Amino acid sequence: MAKVWKYLRRHWMLYAMLIPGLAYIIIFKYIPMYGLSIAFKDYEGIGDIANAQWVGWENFTKLFSKAAFIRSFKNTVIISFAKILFGFPAPIILALFIDSLRKKGLKKLVQTSVILPNFISWVVIYGLMYAILGPSSGVISEILTFFGFEGKIPDLLSSKEYFREVIVGSYIWKSAGIGTIVYLAALTGIDPQLYEAAAIDGAGPWRKTWHISLAGLRTTIIVMLIFRVGEMMHAGFDHIYAISNNAVISVADIIDTYIYRVGLEQGNFSLATAAGFIQSIIGLVMVLITNYVAKKVDPDSGIM
Amino acid sequence: MRKKKTPGQIVSELLKLIIALLLTIVCLYPFWHVIMYSFSDSKEAMSGGLFVLPKGFSLESWKMLLKTKQVFIAFGNSIAKTVVGTLISVVISILTAYPLSLPYVKGRKFLQGMIFFTMLFSGGTIPTYILLKDLHMLDTFWAYVIPSAMNVYNMFILRNFFQAIPDSLSESAMLDGANHVQILTRIVLPLSKAALATQVMFYGVNRWNSYMDGVLYVNDSKLQLLQVYLRQIINSIGGKQGIGASAGDLSGASAITEESIKMTVIAMSVIPVLIVYLSLQKYFVKGTMVGSVKG
Repeated sequence: MAKVWKYLRRHWMLYAMLIPGLAYIIIFKYIPMYGLSIAFKDYEGIGDIANAQWVGWENFTKLFSKAAFIRSFKNTVIISFAKILFGFPAPIILALFIDSLRKKGLKKLVQTSVILPNFISWVVIYGLMYAILGPSSGVISEILTFFGFEGKIPDLLSSKEYFREVIVGSYIWKSAGIGTIVYLAALTGIDPQLYEAAAIDGAGPWRKTWHISLAGLRTTIIVMLIFRVGEMMHAGFDHIYAISNNAVISVADIIDTYIYRVGLEQGNFSLATAAGFIQSIIGLVMVLITNYVAKKVDPDSGIM
Repeated sequence: MRKKKTPGQIVSELLKLIIALLLTIVCLYPFWHVIMYSFSDSKEAMSGGLFVLPKGFSLESWKMLLKTKQVFIAFGNSIAKTVVGTLISVVISILTAYPLSLPYVKGRKFLQGMIFFTMLFSGGTIPTYILLKDLHMLDTFWAYVIPSAMNVYNMFILRNFFQAIPDSLSESAMLDGANHVQILTRIVLPLSKAALATQVMFYGVNRWNSYMDGVLYVNDSKLQLLQVYLRQIINSIGGKQGIGASAGDLSGASAITEESIKMTVIAMSVIPVLIVYLSLQKYFVKGTMVGSVKG
């Protein structure tokens, strides 16, 4: 006991420092987890959660009988999957490219430029897309016309056929640059002697990239991928809400926008929370699975 | 003496140069476009196409915009949210990351695990909304700041940075009788300038850009965020969910097109970000620590 007392007297300040952060985590992260219980209750948004009637899985069966939810679920999976498939390798390739630039000034110019879009909100990016891709006065249509493509320019921003391409494209434009930072930092950590040794052995630039750069990035890639997969069920409220409109809702409605509509606009708290619960559980399971697989492949990798 | 380049190398370097310049243009041109458009004459700009320079220089749309009250209200709210929110976030992150960076702190593993878990599982939108309602935080300024007070990922990045600082410095200060607060403020923080600049930037940008909280938690137009206001204006054409105050109110009966107003609003929201980014970017790459966020 005296030992504990002595330890606390010496280090109490450190524990005092932790108070705001821990209070935040408990109040704003753990209490909402308790709030998930309304997914199993009949709660209309009035009164205490604890007093609401338990209804078991009723909200979930109701949810899965709703076509709009099924649609948002499908859209979430499709959009997220496309974002990972095309968006995840993008910063890795970009980082390898930037790393391969030998001229300092050029390297800096590219790096500074590609990071910039990350600092712009989706609302503004939608505005930029409207300016560039818009069917009547957009730059793209102008350029296509210049090269002899007349007429047939689709309205990319309000057509269902191209919506997913637009989502993935704008996602890469915004996030690939900032994503390179982690990889570029990891690349600088690779011993230059490895490249020299490989060059002596006659390895060309592609082989060096494959066997040294990518091999050196492996751990970073795996950690980033695990986190990315964990966000699978969040296809990006800020992104979709800014870009979508009624013309594309059938391909654009994701679980996050569904929750917003059903929960906050229609006041159906329990149903929306059930949707959120499914989102969180799937996210957790995905992280655990990817982490497990990563550890099987390489025991040193993974996040836990 | 440099080795002479083979034709293959010259071609590949030229190719790289072209790709590099294309990437730069693709990333920068849209910003240039809207800024030039905003200084263009409304009628001449209607023809669209590339904007290398303004088409028929005019300040009319800026004048019109600057006469609108809601723009300033929304702009002010976003700035307040960004400044106050970033300050709170950085302070809390420092205070949390520092003790967790010290290996001798008892209970560290447990606390880290507890914090880390919130990255993997969350209560989600509605329970958080209910919590804010119970705390009477809805429709207040604090709804922008408190619910996202600390980003766990950022906090762990900062902790990793603190961990990399050699112990010897703080140990000798400890022997000289310094307490933990003094060590943090006089030794650790001055050594962490790059990391702190990065944190300010991470949080600041996120605060400035995110608007989900503005959509979910706040209805009061006096508290409206710039991004929410922009969304109304940008979406107001072609019947795209025009809500309340729209570009129509701005352009009125004058000769300025909605298009010009939109571009000007976008330019106005982009210019401060460009300035801040370009002045801080040198810290950026340096301050980001590599590596995993192992719990």
